[in-house]
Amino acid sequence: MDIRFSSVSVSFGGRTVLQPLTLSLTERRIGVIGLNGSGKTTFARLINGLVKPATGTVTVNGLDTVQDASAALAEAGFIFQNPQHQIIMPIVHEDIAFGLKNRGLKADEIERRTATVLERFGITHLARRRVHELSGGETQLAAIASVLVTGPGILILDEPTNQLDLKNRRLVENTIAGLSEHTIVISHDLPLIEHFDRVLLFHEGKLIADGPAAESIRTYHAVAGC
Amino acid sequence: MTTRDLVLIALFTAIIVVLGLIPPVTLGFIPVPITAQSMGVMLAGCIIGAKRGALAYVLLVLLVAIGLPVLAGGRGGLAIIQGPTGGFVIGWIVATYVTGLIAERLVKEGQSEVRQFAGFFIASIVGGIGVLYAIGMPWVTAVTGTPLSAVATGSLAFIPGDLVKAVIATLAARAVLAGYPLLHARA
Amino acid sequence: MLNGLNIEGTTLLHRMSVRAKLAILLVCGLALYAVSSLYILIPAFVIAAAIYFTTGLAFREAISRLKPILFTIMILLIATAYLTSIHEAAESFFRLMAIVLFAGAVTATTATGAFIDEITLLLQPLDRLGLVRAADVGLAFGLVLRFVPDIFNHYQSIKEAHRARGLKVRPLTILAPLIILTLKDADTIAMAIDARGFRRPREKPH
Repeated sequence: MDIRFSSVSVSFGGRTVLQPLTLSLTERRIGVIGLNGSGKTTFARLINGLVKPATGTVTVNGLDTVQDASAALAEAGFIFQNPQHQIIMPIVHEDIAFGLKNRGLKADEIERRTATVLERFGITHLARRRVHELSGGETQLAAIASVLVTGPGILILDEPTNQLDLKNRRLVENTIAGLSEHTIVISHDLPLIEHFDRVLLFHEGKLIADGPAAESIRTYHAVAGC
Repeated sequence: MTTRDLVLIALFTAIIVVLGLIPPVTLGFIPVPITAQSMGVMLAGCIIGAKRGALAYVLLVLLVAIGLPVLAGGRGGLAIIQGPTGGFVIGWIVATYVTGLIAERLVKEGQSEVRQFAGFFIASIVGGIGVLYAIGMPWVTAVTGTPLSAVATGSLAFIPGDLVKAVIATLAARAVLAGYPLLHARA
Repeated sequence: MLNGLNIEGTTLLHRMSVRAKLAILLVCGLALYAVSSLYILIPAFVIAAAIYFTTGLAFREAISRLKPILFTIMILLIATAYLTSIHEAAESFFRLMAIVLFAGAVTATTATGAFIDEITLLLQPLDRLGLVRAADVGLAFGLVLRFVPDIFNHYQSIKEAHRARGLKVRPLTILAPLIILTLKDADTIAMAIDARGFRRPREKPH
């Protein structure tokens, strides 16, 4: 993975939400922390082009997220804060297959890849279930499966353990720990990211700490005043 | 069409389907019970506008055609479209479009509340009642041979209920406009 | 909650292509309007009834599906018989029932998925002209079926909230919150669809 930000800033309606930022990301596990409204979700959305930079450029594995938008999009998958919003077909199996169908794959290839990804996340038994009947953890796994089935090498997760009970939290935590893909996790759940290779801390639209998890978390406590 | 428009259309169709699952209300002075779903035309036109509203109804009619029980009382299937009231089903699309067109012209954000109410009410009456019956009634006559005058007389029984629906749709549309404006397409 | 009205089976109609069934329905429907002889309309009615009742649909279900439409037809035709002639009312009855029964048979023997595939295929020429995106139709159908249960849950919770606050459950006070609650998710859902790269080719930035 090679993600590069060069002098990237973002503003919405004249308000700067991200101060000019230059960095490169190559680590396997990257955490992003910060208070509400600190700019961390904006940072994550820049990576797959959901947010366009006001100045500067973002490249993912050499692909510009504005110029080569759809190619860059294919490199990095995104799991939204509420995975309910991103599962858009009524049945788990249909949702996972839909992304492949859109890429014009043949029926037997779609079937094969869908079965593989279901098995990978241990949710084969959920294949024919209705999406709205799934538990929080199951929904999260189904969303991850439906994004990774198309083969992005990077997965960005926005608050993946938000609103999960203890059991589902463990399930999602273990799933993230076991991913072979590069992962970038935005979270308020500090234990989730404390073993990560690198943790970025945003504060009022600025990157104020970038380094080993323990250090960034310490700075976070200091700026939060608790 | 943007992805957001596509989603708004599909979500509105889904709302119309859900309105069909809500039990109908009977009001003392009106002969026919009011189903929430029958307000859909007025709501769609006044809330998401002409083009998206009409497409939401195209989608609904397709759902009926492919045999999903999406209409109030679990009805659906090609027989509904081919039957005597099929004109009303097809008419929904045009009626929503006209309702939306009028609402878009008459109602603007920042207008006085009274003008917004008036705009939505006129749109609902002209589109949701006028246009709908103008398509539905001749269809009944064409299909069954019942004289148009008799169909029109029979339809009068529904008019008081339709006026109540127009009032409810007006109030709801104005509340949505205030809380989450969608009528005018985003630039 | 939203299961199709079709039933599994292996009858001739089940095996026939969707396009053929729709074409027959359309052609027969139009042809019957050109005919006014009861010698043709009654046999057409009998054949359509025979087809409808042999689709494998349970008899009671078959009858209950017909009831609402039969009710409308009867009311209208009683008026017609009274205002014009019994003969004309009889013609309309057999013609309409033949069409309605055959339409019901097509619905009972065609899976919704097959219909959606057929609609997507029929839209291909328009897709090539750039007028619509055929793939959007499947996406739109999926979205509706996916979100109906969620919206129904919204309705249930708004209703409960009304009760908890001692308010009467009225369409007026339910509609606006239900619609706002549902449509405010549109932005996130749209963003997720774009993030997953569905609707890829002619995407315009917005």
